[in-house]
Amino acid sequence: MAAGIHRRTALLHPLSFLPREAISGFGRDRPRRQGIVMKRLLSSVTDGSGFDIGLVLLPLAFLFVLSGLPLVYNVVMSFQEVDMFSLGSFWRPFVGFKNYVDLFSQPETRTILLNTALFVSASIAGQFLIGFGLALFFWMNFPGASWLRGLFLVSWVMPGLVVGAIWNWILSGDFGVLNFFLREMGVIEGNIFWRSDPHYSLWAVIIANIWLGTSFNMILLSVGLSGIPKDLYEAAELDGANSLQRFFTITLPMMRSTIGAIIALGLIFTLQQFDLFAGITSGGPNNASNVTQYWAWDLSFRQYDFAKGATISVIMIVFVMLASVVYVRSTRHEVRG
Amino acid sequence: MTLQIELNGVNKYYGAFHALKDINLAIEEGTFVALVGPSGCGKSTLLRSLAGLEKITTGDMKIAGQLMNNVPPRKRDVAMVFQSYALYPHMTVEENLTYSLRIRGVKKAEARKAAEEVAATTGLSHLMKRYPRELSGGQRQRVAMSRAIIRHPKAFLFDEPLSNLDAALRVHMRKEIRALHDRLHATSVYVTHDQIEAMTMADHVVVMRDGVIEQQGRPLDLYDKPANRFVAGFIGSPAMNFIPAIVGEGGLDAILDFGRTRARLPLATRLAPGLAVSVGIRPEHIRIVAAGEGAFDIPVGIVESTGSATYVTTATQPELTVVETGRGEVKSGDVIGLAIDPRQLHLFDAETGKRIEASPAMAASPPRLQLAERAR
Repeated sequence: MAAGIHRRTALLHPLSFLPREAISGFGRDRPRRQGIVMKRLLSSVTDGSGFDIGLVLLPLAFLFVLSGLPLVYNVVMSFQEVDMFSLGSFWRPFVGFKNYVDLFSQPETRTILLNTALFVSASIAGQFLIGFGLALFFWMNFPGASWLRGLFLVSWVMPGLVVGAIWNWILSGDFGVLNFFLREMGVIEGNIFWRSDPHYSLWAVIIANIWLGTSFNMILLSVGLSGIPKDLYEAAELDGANSLQRFFTITLPMMRSTIGAIIALGLIFTLQQFDLFAGITSGGPNNASNVTQYWAWDLSFRQYDFAKGATISVIMIVFVMLASVVYVRSTRHEVRG
Repeated sequence: MTLQIELNGVNKYYGAFHALKDINLAIEEGTFVALVGPSGCGKSTLLRSLAGLEKITTGDMKIAGQLMNNVPPRKRDVAMVFQSYALYPHMTVEENLTYSLRIRGVKKAEARKAAEEVAATTGLSHLMKRYPRELSGGQRQRVAMSRAIIRHPKAFLFDEPLSNLDAALRVHMRKEIRALHDRLHATSVYVTHDQIEAMTMADHVVVMRDGVIEQQGRPLDLYDKPANRFVAGFIGSPAMNFIPAIVGEGGLDAILDFGRTRARLPLATRLAPGLAVSVGIRPEHIRIVAAGEGAFDIPVGIVESTGSATYVTTATQPELTVVETGRGEVKSGDVIGLAIDPRQLHLFDAETGKRIEASPAMAASPPRLQLAERAR
């Protein structure tokens, strides 16, 4: 009789997804039954889907709290009026697209956006071409090749500010090594003041950034190259292809996904390159070497115009999103026989 | 017939390792040659040397009369079918087939037509737009072959092309490749470790071991007259039985040494008495008879039946394998008699492993020579 009632309640019980004995146990010999529930939960963690769900939930929570929320907060902020006094509260007056309109009506915006485009494309092109050249060079596998290749990673380990400081010396107008070389080789006649000449200041950062990112490109491209089966080259060789034809018909197409991934990652990395600007030119002179990422920081944390800083960040997010779509797509479409 | 491939005194070293030792080989145009041997015997190295993927250290290598020693692979005009197929994964079947033509600057329409013709003969017409990853093992194999056929090369080189296929498909593709060769009459060199493939497909079999050609000839010649113990044991399935023996006093029989027991077996030829030999008997050349009626009696160890044939392994040391067609009535533990035709025996020098020619005409003198050699 009693058992019957329990069974009926079990059907309608809100906790009916739990084991029946766990539900029917409420109110009766509770401690023992609760022990069973705990055991069930525990066993689902140790040998069932519980563990998998846990594994997924943890990073998801992490991503949401530390990346998702700030991202959303940033987007919201770009539509608000923010000053030092309202910084602490979330509910601030909404101003629509006013921040965006204001931003694009500022005279320096055009320069800075163009600078950013030039910085990103020149950096990626330089890093990729030199990196690919080096990767192909080390791919020949001469004695000591892997050892030397490892050494190249040193540049990637160095902090951006340190790299900036070193390049400051190299690029220095009066006693810099670069000027010395160019002068001795007869490329230039007078000294170039790389960091203070508005025609060269952006290129000063680009040169340093190419140096910084080349080794990363080289390593990823090396991995891609070594993933191409050797017998494809042998087959192509027997099919009559010379080395140039083999490069364009085998190497490049087989590297397509790697190249797509590297360019997408390069776009993301160059868009977040901040240290070199802080270390070499500080965006000057007169915004000649200023880029969006440095400008956003300058607006937010030096001029305390948080709304505009957030607005620039939102514009950058769009580009990074596009890059990550390319990245995800190219890693998904791996062509490997 | 003209010689299509000629190797004279070819040697190949990898550092101190001597991979090919003084290889001499002449292949006539249109022949199907199989290079066969255990792994590490140098057969793949030899094939890759022919392709130009490995450089030979010394010797001459000619293809169609031209010295090829320093000619790069792309100028040798030979086609290779790789063990891994080496299909271009980023190209469709059609693009794979036309690759060599496109490299040579053949017009697109022309290349496509050629590809369609070849695909029609190899049964790939409906797969032209697929990528290699969308094909089964057998289909990939066909693409690899078609890619070679489309070029009309001076020679086809096959590097264990069937070893990645399952047993049934392998038997099928074996016939297909042979049929293809009969149609194209192209000179082919086929590397395999499977002696059955070599025996069934080739016109000429080259058996290699440790970088040396042990014997070459027509498949059945190799089966009938193996030059040494290694070839004898390698060719034929199940493998030949070898029993250590000593030629008896009269020189007309061999005393087989089964460890604890001995058996006397008449020979078809006269050998020097006391000569230590290795007696080879193919499992299919032994008949099982009632005890006492054969050359000698022997206890049965294991009996395995496949339905069509029965494999009897004796409980002796060394053990003998006997193949009987049909289902024998022999059971494990029985004692049976073995009838052996002396003319089907193979005799090898116990020390050198070389074949002792069992021709009755040479009965008297050569064995003594053998003995003299041994004494020295």
